Amino acid sequence: MDTSTTKAAREDPPAHLTLIVDLNPLQWELSSQASNDTPLSLSQFLAQLMIFINAHLAARDDNTLAVIGALPGYSVMLYSTDDSPPDDEAPARHQANSFQPFRMVDGRIASRIQEEMEKSTDLDGKTDRGLVGAITKALCHINRVNLLSVALTNNPESTSAMAPPSSQSPRMLILSISPDASTSYIPLMNSIFAAQKLKVKIDVCKIFGSDTVFLQQAAYLTGGSYLVLERRDALLQYLSMCFLPPASLRKVLATPSQDKVDFRAACFCHKKVVDIGCVCSVCLSIFCYPITRTSCSTCGTRFPLQTLKRLGYIRQPAAQANGRSKPNGTANGK
Amino acid sequence: MPAKDRDAYIDPDAEEDDFSAEEHDSVGSGDDFDQGTSSRGGKRGGLAGGKKGAEARLKSKGKGGDGYAWEGSISRTWDQVREDDGGSLELSVQEAIARARRKKLQQSGQAVRRTIIRHLVLMLDLSRSMTDRDLRPSRFDLGLEYARAFISEWFDQNPLGQIGVVGMRNGIGERLGEMSGNPQEVLRSIADRDKLMPAGEPSLQNAVEMARGTMSHLPSHASREIVIIFGSLTTCDPDNIFDTLEGCVKDKIRISIVALAAEMKVCRELCERTNGTFAVAMNEGHFKDVLFELIPPPAQLAAPAGAPGRSGPASSAAELMLMGFPSRLPETSPPSLCACHSTIKSEGFICPRCKVKLCDVPTDCDVCGLMIVSSPHLARSYHHLFPVQGYRPVMSMTQENPAGVPAQLACHGCSLPFPLRTLDSSANGGDAGDAAAADGISPLGRYRCPKCAKDFCSDCDVFVHDALHVCPGCC
Repeated sequence: MDTSTTKAAREDPPAHLTLIVDLNPLQWELSSQASNDTPLSLSQFLAQLMIFINAHLAARDDNTLAVIGALPGYSVMLYSTDDSPPDDEAPARHQANSFQPFRMVDGRIASRIQEEMEKSTDLDGKTDRGLVGAITKALCHINRVNLLSVALTNNPESTSAMAPPSSQSPRMLILSISPDASTSYIPLMNSIFAAQKLKVKIDVCKIFGSDTVFLQQAAYLTGGSYLVLERRDALLQYLSMCFLPPASLRKVLATPSQDKVDFRAACFCHKKVVDIGCVCSVCLSIFCYPITRTSCSTCGTRFPLQTLKRLGYIRQPAAQANGRSKPNGTANGK
Repeated sequence: MPAKDRDAYIDPDAEEDDFSAEEHDSVGSGDDFDQGTSSRGGKRGGLAGGKKGAEARLKSKGKGGDGYAWEGSISRTWDQVREDDGGSLELSVQEAIARARRKKLQQSGQAVRRTIIRHLVLMLDLSRSMTDRDLRPSRFDLGLEYARAFISEWFDQNPLGQIGVVGMRNGIGERLGEMSGNPQEVLRSIADRDKLMPAGEPSLQNAVEMARGTMSHLPSHASREIVIIFGSLTTCDPDNIFDTLEGCVKDKIRISIVALAAEMKVCRELCERTNGTFAVAMNEGHFKDVLFELIPPPAQLAAPAGAPGRSGPASSAAELMLMGFPSRLPETSPPSLCACHSTIKSEGFICPRCKVKLCDVPTDCDVCGLMIVSSPHLARSYHHLFPVQGYRPVMSMTQENPAGVPAQLACHGCSLPFPLRTLDSSANGGDAGDAAAADGISPLGRYRCPKCAKDFCSDCDVFVHDALHVCPGCC
C-alpha cells in the first residue's frame, strides 16, 4: 500500500457499523443440517461474528457499533455502543486471557440474542417482516446519531463523556439467511432510497439460501457489496476481508462487485418478467403488453378506449375475471 | 401592453410602507419611487430585516393598532423565547426547532392521487433587475444556485419527470435547455454562469408562450407546469398577456411564480387562474423554502373520494403508458457506440424494442421513442402514492396508555431512550403547553403511530415522514 492511502486511512472519520443479524430460527436450523456442504450453526456463526465485532471495535478507538436482530415478525436493537451498561451486571471475575471491554460486548450480545430466541416461538409466516423493520430502525438510529453529533459539534462546550465523534461514516452490514418476501418490496425500496440520502452503504452477506434480488438491489443502489458465501466455514475470512475495511480502503481492495443486477420488473397480472410493459399512470402498476384488461387491478381506474385500441387490447374474458379476483401484485402488496 | 398600463397591474396591497422604502432605497431598483403608493423595490412583509427591521417599523408607525393586512402574518418570534429554571434557552430553542419541523409535516395528508409523470419548464428571469443585491450575493447568483438545487431535488422526488429551462432576457424567451429527463443534462444547461448574464427587460408573455409550445404535444396524463423565478417588477410583452393566460388555462398548464421583488397583480393572476402558487421571497432562506415547496408532486384535483372509483370522470386523466425495462450492460461488455451521444462506452442500457444502446435511464429512446425506465425509478415514486400516516402527538402518559401496557422506554425507531426532561417544564407552564398542543407538539416528545401504536421521538417522526416513508413499527 502506498503512503497516500495510509495517510487517507488515518484521516478517515471513525466508522459507525450497524450489523443486522437475521435470526430466523427456522433458517438457522436448515443451515446447520449436516446435509449441507458446509453446515453452519447459529452458535458457530456467533463465535465468528464476535471476533469480527471485536476486530471492528479494536481497529479504532472511536469506532461505534449497533447490532440489530431481525426475527420473524419483529426486530429488536440488541446492542449499541451508546447504551449505558445495565447496572445489574455484576463485575464478573477477571479473566487473564480476555480484554474486558470485548468480553462485556460479547457477553451482552450473546445474552440478548438468547433472550430473544427464547421469546420467539412462532416460527412460520412473516419471514421477512423483521428484516425491513431492522433496516428502518438502523436508518433511524444512524439519522439520530448524525443529528446528535451535529448538535455536539455546534456547541463544543457541552461535550459529555459519551460524546460521539464529530463526523462518522456510517455503513450497514446485513447478514441474511432468509429468502425474499414479496410483501416487503415497497418498504425495502423506500429504505434503500433513504439510505442513499443518508449516504449509508449497505453491504449484504448472504450466508445461506438462494439469492435475494431485493438485497442485491439494495447493495447496488447504495454502493455496497453483495457477497454470497461459497464456503460457509470460512465466514470470518469473508467478513474480515470484505466488510471490515473502511470506505477509503475499499478502493484499493478488490471487493466483490456485482455484474448482473436484475432491474427488470414483473407484471402484476401474470407475475412474468417483462421487457416492455404498460404502466398505469395513476398507481404505476405494471401490466404486460399487449394489454388484456380495461381497468387497473390495483386502483380500479378505467383506461380510455382510445389507448386500449392503440396498445392492441385483446379481449380475454377469462383472464380478466381471474385477474380481478387475484390479490394485488408484487410491488403493490401493501 | 403599453408601458404606462403596466403599473396598473402592480398590486397596491402588496405595498410597503415608508420603512421598507428607506431600507431599499440604497438598492436602487426603484427608479420612479413614490413613497406610500408605488411598489418598486418594496418587499412584502418586514421580515427581511429581521428583528431590527420590525422594531423600526413599529417605531415609525407608532402603536397604530391594526395596520395593514399583511402585518397580521408577522410573528414576534423573540417574544416566544423564554428562559427555563436554570436560565438556559436550550429548551425554548429546541421547542422552536421541533415546531418548525412539525409544521411541515402537518400539511402532508393521506393518500391522494398525485401526478407522477410531470413535465416542467423552469423559467429564470435573466433581466437587469436580477443584478440587484438585496439577496446575497445577488438575486442572479442566489437564484441560479437555488435553481440547481431545485433541479436535483426535483428529479430525486420525481424520477419520471422532465424539465426544460427557459430564460427571460432582452424582451424575449430564450430556450436554455430542452425538455429532458436526465438531471445532468438539465444542470449542464444552466451550469455556465457567464452565458446567462442578466441583460435587458424580461418578457413573461414571450417566455410563457415558448414554454406552452414546448409542452403542447404532451399526452393528457402528464402534467404541464411552469415554475418562474421572477425578479423584475415589469414585463415587456408584445401582445395582451391575458390571451396567453387563457391559452394556459385551456391547455391545463399550471403556473407557479416565486417573485423576488414584490407582488404584481399580473403574476398573482397567472398563478391563481392556473391553480399554481404565488409567493414572494422575503429573504434568502424563505426563497429556498417557497421554491422547494413546489417539488412534491401536486395532488390531482379530481382525486377519487373514498373507495377506488371504478367509473366516473375522475379517471379521465388516467392513461396506460408504454414503458420499456432495459437490460443493463456490465462494464466488462465489449464497447460500442451509444445512440444518445455517439461515444464509445462499455456500460449502458439496451432498449428492449429497438435494441439501441442508451447511456442513462430514465429517458425516451432516441430511436423508437419508447419511454425507458428501470424498476427502481418506478419504486421511487411509490412513497407519494402510499404515504405513511401522520403520527399523533402523545399528550400525557396517564391518559393515552391503555391499562396494563408498560410505557415504552425508548423510541421504537432509533432505540434511544426518551428524554426524562420534557418540554413542558414548570418554566413555561400551562400557557406554553396549550400552545404546544395547538401546534401538534407533544410535551413528552413522543409521537404515536395510529396503526401500530408505537411511540417515536420527534427526530424519528420527522425522518420517517421526510426521508424514510416507512413506519418502522408497521412494516
